[in-house]
Amino acid sequence: MILGQTDGERRGWGWVAHLRAGGTTPWQAWTGLAEAGGRYLPGAQQLELLRRVNQVSAPSQRLAERVLAASAPGRGRPDLELVGAASPSRFGPAPVDPAALPPDELVRVATSLVADDLVAAGPIATPAPRRTRVVRRRYRIIGDPLVADSVRAELIADGRPPGGRLDRRNGAVVVVGVELSRLLAHTWTARCFAVGAPAWSEWVSVLAAADRLPPRVDLARACAEYAARLEPRRVHVVFDHDQIAPLVGVRHRFVTDTDLPAQAVELARRTAPVLGLLVTPPARRALLERLRHWLSEATGPTIAVPPRTRDWVAERAQGMRRDLIAGGYAVHGDLGVLTAGMAAGIAEPSEEGVLALAIELLLDPREVE
Amino acid sequence: MTKKVILHVGTPKTGTSYVQHVLFHNQDKLLAHGIRYPADRFDAHFLAALDLMRLPWGGLEHQAIGAWDRLATQVRRWPGTSIISHEILATASRSQVGQALESLGHGSGTEVHLVLSVRDLVRQIPAEWQENIKHRAGLSYQRFLEQLRDPERGSRVATWFWGVQEIPDILDRWGSDLPPAHIHLVTVPPRGGSPDLLWERFVRAFGLDGLSLRLDGDRVNPSLGVPEIALIRRINQAANDVLEPADYRPLVRELLAHQTLSRRTGSPRLALPPAAHPWVSDVQDAWLVEVEKRGYDVVGDLADLMGEPPVAEWADPDHPREDDVAGAAVDALKAVLLESARLRRAQDRLTAELDETRRSLERAHLRPTYRLREKAVRRLESARLGRVAMGVYRLLRGRSSRSA
Repeated sequence: MILGQTDGERRGWGWVAHLRAGGTTPWQAWTGLAEAGGRYLPGAQQLELLRRVNQVSAPSQRLAERVLAASAPGRGRPDLELVGAASPSRFGPAPVDPAALPPDELVRVATSLVADDLVAAGPIATPAPRRTRVVRRRYRIIGDPLVADSVRAELIADGRPPGGRLDRRNGAVVVVGVELSRLLAHTWTARCFAVGAPAWSEWVSVLAAADRLPPRVDLARACAEYAARLEPRRVHVVFDHDQIAPLVGVRHRFVTDTDLPAQAVELARRTAPVLGLLVTPPARRALLERLRHWLSEATGPTIAVPPRTRDWVAERAQGMRRDLIAGGYAVHGDLGVLTAGMAAGIAEPSEEGVLALAIELLLDPREVE
Repeated sequence: MTKKVILHVGTPKTGTSYVQHVLFHNQDKLLAHGIRYPADRFDAHFLAALDLMRLPWGGLEHQAIGAWDRLATQVRRWPGTSIISHEILATASRSQVGQALESLGHGSGTEVHLVLSVRDLVRQIPAEWQENIKHRAGLSYQRFLEQLRDPERGSRVATWFWGVQEIPDILDRWGSDLPPAHIHLVTVPPRGGSPDLLWERFVRAFGLDGLSLRLDGDRVNPSLGVPEIALIRRINQAANDVLEPADYRPLVRELLAHQTLSRRTGSPRLALPPAAHPWVSDVQDAWLVEVEKRGYDVVGDLADLMGEPPVAEWADPDHPREDDVAGAAVDALKAVLLESARLRRAQDRLTAELDETRRSLERAHLRPTYRLREKAVRRLESARLGRVAMGVYRLLRGRSSRSA
């Protein structure tokens, strides 16, 4: 098939040249013609993504070419042809008006480029942790990953890794609690930035259908397992997070991560599988930390439990509260936090929001340390 | 000698696994004739395809990192003929095709030949639905067919199916830069012919005539009858939410589908519904006209693509005979029981071994000298001089491990 022959194809190449020059005219309004500027006419998804990038800010020539050459990763719709540019054919997917493409299609292409940028940037350089202190409080810290993971990382960096014998004289199990819908959201977020996760609503629906809480969320079960080995009073359920420091043997307050907006987490969730094709699992986790850093200033509503599963979450929160009281554990702070009103937010991340965030990342001339 | 690359890009369900098996196990014999099939493991080209197309595949993609570049490097370095074969390459986009061809040396003096093995849709459609079901799908056969017939092709099922099956479109994407004489279409013969015929066609397409290769391995993938596939679909619907993907493959796909239910040979076979035949004929007629017009090298007979006429008694997998499904379910239950018994025995054995290990460990810890030694080592490890002393001690003792 020889490209650039029909008027439709020349119009397509004209639009490509326009977009390469930073243009923002939609395809349906475009009339200019040009000769073929490549082996094949880029797909509708790539062209529309470049138009959307141009609408935000002028990209570098390199970024424009990367967008045009990118293919959408994973399974899904193939690169589509422009309606009015492609020669009529009985074969292949139907050509489309790129402006009518759902943002999800553009996000697919964008995640591939974001993943490439992350690989190029590499993991965040962190100083080596100081040597493990001989005298330190033995601890385990589990529960809300937003707090527990930050605290654990800070303690490791300070020469206080978890582990060692938890015997009757030494050590504490710290179970970080938070309102249950937030605990679910934080756990899903942690999975998105680690091993990958299904979509939020699907994840919560499956849990509700099976009436099952993930191990990280099921605080009562975790407490019971530790209490079987230690006495219950050595298991500390902490809702007042300022109380964590003395339990793990330090004096200062911990700086923990903050909630990310739903579209930021969704972008990480969509980017993680692409990274999985580019780097090993440990490196992927490190690069997703880099992505978390890039997304740290993103704004927007956080993810919230979909209305159809709110009753289930409320019931499970009440049940967990009862089990924690019955277990006789040391509770720090108000146990009522667990069943306090559910956090506000959106039940589905906005695809337009995810796309806008991805474009923002692609355009950001970040400094790479 | 012309440097040549033979690129076999599909389609699925056309004997590709057998071809790859033969090529993989005859690498030395091929090499003796200047032909390289560069693969250090059976699925090397599958991994390379995942890498090229950035296609996650149930966790396998971690093993695919950089696989295409490694494969392409081996091909570029080999002065003779190289063969690459994997059927999922059929879905590659134009951009990925361009990247693949360039990386293999196309345009830099290497002669690239494209091989596409094809089979009639009358067999491909039921086979593809069955494959979907064996990969956890729960959609009915009717819904599957509706999605294939939807002109929008918006569903994942339709996107994938046409991406790997629509012959003119695959050849548009892969073949637009190649002369038609370098594009070889291998047709799968109709059912009931010589079992060697398809392989002989591949031999011609790959230029392996006169080579004495070891031909072993299964030529046919295990397939299921109508009640068996209906049962797997029901199991998917019931268990998908509670069975982890990592457990699904060994338990449902391998144990139940392949090792148990595929051995039930008396069941009615899955076929295209008679009502879908006119539509399929129209599609295939259009493909045939197009393929003939383009002048590719056809290895076999394009008439093979017309498919068989409708079966006289069609069995609907969405409404199977419940007696037959119950029979299949009993066989499945028996297989699960036997597997559970085997796992219980394994668990008992491992529990006993673990108990013995724990007892041995406790005996070692109980000795007073152990605690003294442990304390001494910990103290030595906390100071630089002590660590040096421990290093010397371990060296003299002849232990390679550093840790105590």
